[in-house]
Amino acid sequence: MWRSNLVAGLRALQKNRTYAFINIFGLAIGLAACIVLLLYVRYELTYDDWLKDADRVYQVQLIHTDPETGVRTIQQESEGAAAAPLAKDFQQIDAVVRADGDRPVFLRDGEPVFADMLSADPQFFQVVSVPFLRGDPRHALDQANSLVMSRAEAIKQFGTDDVLGRTVTRIMRGEKVELRVTGVFEDLPRHSHMKFGLVTKIDPEDAASCTWGCVNGFVYLKLRPGASPDPITAGLPAWEKRNIPSRNVGGAMVSEGDDFDWRLVNVRDVHLSGASGGDPERPNNDRTTVVTFAVIALLILGIAVANFVNLATARAGQRAREVALRKLAGAARRQLIAQFLGESLLIVGLSMLIALALAELSLPYIAAYLGTDLHLVYLGADGVLLPILGLWLAVGLLGGLYPAFYLTRFQPGVILRSNRSAAEPPGTGKLRALLVVAQFAVSIGLIVCTLVVYSQIRFARSIDAGFRRDGLITVANLDRAVVVPLVDTLIREAQRLPAVRSAAATSIFPATGQTLNTDFSVEGRVKPITIGWYSVSPEFFETAGVGLLAGRLPSRANQMDATLLPVDADARKAIAQSYVDRGANIVVNRLAARQLGFADPEAAIGKTVRVNAFGAKNGLMPATIVGVVKDSRFRSLREQPEAVAYMNNGFYSRLLVHFEGAEPAVVRERLAQLWKRLVPTVPFEADYADAELAELYRVDQARGLSFAGFAGLAVAVACLGLFGLAAFTAERRTKEIGIRKVFGASIADIVRLLVWQFTKPVVIANLIAWPAAWWIMRDWLNQFDARIALTPGPFLLAGLIAFAIAIGTVAGHAIRIARTNPIHALRYE
Amino acid sequence: MLSMRELSRVYRTDTVETTALDRIDLDIADGEFVAIMGPSGCGKSTLLNVIGMLDSPSSGSYVFNGGEVAGLPESKLADIRKKHIGFIFQSFNLIDELSVRENVELALLYHDIPSSERKQRVEAVMDKVGIAHRAKHRPSQLSGGQQQRVAVARAVVGEPKLILADEPTGNLDTQHGEEVMRMLQKLNAEGSTIVMVTHSPAHADYAGRVVNMLDGKVLVERRRAA
Repeated sequence: MWRSNLVAGLRALQKNRTYAFINIFGLAIGLAACIVLLLYVRYELTYDDWLKDADRVYQVQLIHTDPETGVRTIQQESEGAAAAPLAKDFQQIDAVVRADGDRPVFLRDGEPVFADMLSADPQFFQVVSVPFLRGDPRHALDQANSLVMSRAEAIKQFGTDDVLGRTVTRIMRGEKVELRVTGVFEDLPRHSHMKFGLVTKIDPEDAASCTWGCVNGFVYLKLRPGASPDPITAGLPAWEKRNIPSRNVGGAMVSEGDDFDWRLVNVRDVHLSGASGGDPERPNNDRTTVVTFAVIALLILGIAVANFVNLATARAGQRAREVALRKLAGAARRQLIAQFLGESLLIVGLSMLIALALAELSLPYIAAYLGTDLHLVYLGADGVLLPILGLWLAVGLLGGLYPAFYLTRFQPGVILRSNRSAAEPPGTGKLRALLVVAQFAVSIGLIVCTLVVYSQIRFARSIDAGFRRDGLITVANLDRAVVVPLVDTLIREAQRLPAVRSAAATSIFPATGQTLNTDFSVEGRVKPITIGWYSVSPEFFETAGVGLLAGRLPSRANQMDATLLPVDADARKAIAQSYVDRGANIVVNRLAARQLGFADPEAAIGKTVRVNAFGAKNGLMPATIVGVVKDSRFRSLREQPEAVAYMNNGFYSRLLVHFEGAEPAVVRERLAQLWKRLVPTVPFEADYADAELAELYRVDQARGLSFAGFAGLAVAVACLGLFGLAAFTAERRTKEIGIRKVFGASIADIVRLLVWQFTKPVVIANLIAWPAAWWIMRDWLNQFDARIALTPGPFLLAGLIAFAIAIGTVAGHAIRIARTNPIHALRYE
Repeated sequence: MLSMRELSRVYRTDTVETTALDRIDLDIADGEFVAIMGPSGCGKSTLLNVIGMLDSPSSGSYVFNGGEVAGLPESKLADIRKKHIGFIFQSFNLIDELSVRENVELALLYHDIPSSERKQRVEAVMDKVGIAHRAKHRPSQLSGGQQQRVAVARAVVGEPKLILADEPTGNLDTQHGEEVMRMLQKLNAEGSTIVMVTHSPAHADYAGRVVNMLDGKVLVERRRAA
């Protein structure tokens, strides 16, 4: 019997090749998309669960609540100063470690090169237990010159991982220091929020100098086995009060604990915790995005399954005679149900094989594009064999159930007597219409979302950021000890280069990841307010193209415009005090002026505010506002525009160079030559501002494009189904069309009739999709501080696209059927 | 009404050439009731399709209503068809998804007739054939005779000059068959020209003239004494 069933099933497929193709490939595309997306979702949800004792390891994150706006920002990095008090006050904690990121210069083959390195407490590898290949994780960081490296780093430096005891030369303040390799650990997997290849022991003096208010790295802790983090979370507010000393800012007592809070986040959750400031090569994701991808996966699968059910019921009539004859031959209903479910499983099985092939072929590209190392393995702990078998059964049964049950309900007598093979039980047409509406609603919704996301990305790239984007190069490492004394020379020499219009040194720059704030005390307010506090050389405004609104720009000629500090720490203290006594001029942006209480730029000019410029111990410095400049967005549009006060203390992080009339690469090369001549011990690092800004939206763009890709796929699968359905409908209505033609309907009348049949569901689908898409996109846009307006444009366009697709898909069949001579349809029924 | 000279219809496939109509000469005057008889495959239905412009002659001339129609494009033929010809089929060919009233109305749908007038005419013709009480039913809920009456109503609602009936009684029992024949006779008496294909000599007797066909040719014409 099974053989007969299988033969009947295969022949039914063979007889309707179009049907078989659409069914199998449509479903295969849907399944492939679903598999790839769900692999990605699983990947995103399983960050860091490879780490030993991951359930007990937590990152301490820092939460800042803006007292003015109530806006919360959460950082992965927090104060190293919090580590010791946490270990002291909470019994549940086994160990707390600090790990500061650094980019020291190493000497490799005589050339200075940068390398990312962590400076960590000796217990680091007991908390973050990465598997060691060589050395003892408990004692690897005992010495000040200890260096632990990853296998990849060892092979890069020495060509082997057998490197215990070998030395690496680091350049510190121009001098060579030897570091000895004390351990080698397995490379970190790609799905980790952490990324480090080199770890050395933290300098206790450095660590101690950075107290509350100094965010200089990560803090990780490990709980004792069985301990819960909840008591710690509950105890943190009291802990803050006990441990954080208050300081005096212009008479007001303030504490880090006022605007800052801390929280524990399990290492496995850090990736999706929404906290900023992790490794730039390990961009965070958020749960919404991951859920969105999961939903799209299920929607595509749903569309493909809907096709499957639609086509199966649409052509069921053609199988009705077979059912009737089998029933006459004595088949029980349950045997027939089994037959149709079996056929469904057969088709889904074929689709699944094709889907797996498609997934394997496309995965390397998609994985690279999304910046992941996704891969498909069948067996083992993260093997997909079982889930895929489950998916096969689920889709096979789901898709086969409805056709199976209603096909086998036919009464054989009725079908055979009616002398026709086509019979359609009532209600199936409605189900099909419903599924088509649902498919189109999803497709239209996805098209709207894609259009909106795309417009927002374009908007983000073209918005007036309040500074120059083109012809701007930034050169890094102005904050290195050996570079600091050379900054003025660098600016002067850079300005002499051909094509260079101006050059400046700055601590704020396009796509900066660094936030520098300080307290401003304003008359009539009890609490000081926090405003960005950035050191820039006087040429900054011209170079960056930041326009003046009122007053004047700073000048090198005016001594009051600068508070230059010497490198030497002792000399710095004395001079700082003299600046506090003397006062200085500053320039603020419009937003800062407003926050300081000046309604318009003119009103701020000549006014004096008091600012915590050199630490609370030195007292507040009177700062006179001499100029107000435009607001600039140096960061992502996701972030609020920043209130900024510009001063000049002689410490900067980047050289900013504006050029015109030359190839960017040529200018960059000239700057590199200049740098090598002046600072041979520090590698030259430069980037184009527009490229750095584009990088801010790279992840958005990659996700947006994947979104568009999968939306397109969903639409394509839906169209495939519609195409098949239109073919069957047209065939089913052949007689009706013949009759209409005999009574005078023209070809145009017939085409209109058939097209309208499929236009109606599109109209209804639009009515469903528009509000849903509007609601989702409003939420998405709300996370951008500067965003496009949600106009009817994308909605109408998506609707039109859907109409065009529906009509294009159906019109072919309609015209073919409308042109056939009606006598064929009418005579041979 | 219509006149055919040397009219042939040849079907060609890759290997076979079938002559369905072989140099037919036939004239039908206004107001005639003509029955076409002959064995299966003799070309009766092809002739009827050519008369109804559902099929085009391969050669020869076909003058309808004073104008040559052989070789006219499909859109012109559709136009003439819609204005002047009504069809009745053996298998009724009603649309299952439409009600009786909608099926009858279909024949007026593609004419430029305002809906109020359309409604009046549909009601009048349904009354005339005796199915007004079934107006809201679906064809599948009617008996064969009732279905054919709906088909007749649909054929005449457009007030065509020529009614073509392809074995209109073939699917009906004797009683219902007679009923339909009387209806056609009445329409003929009211002025409609009718051409009917039939196998039944008894039904052919309703016609004023019988054309016998064999192998695509007109064999004998027999006129009933007036």
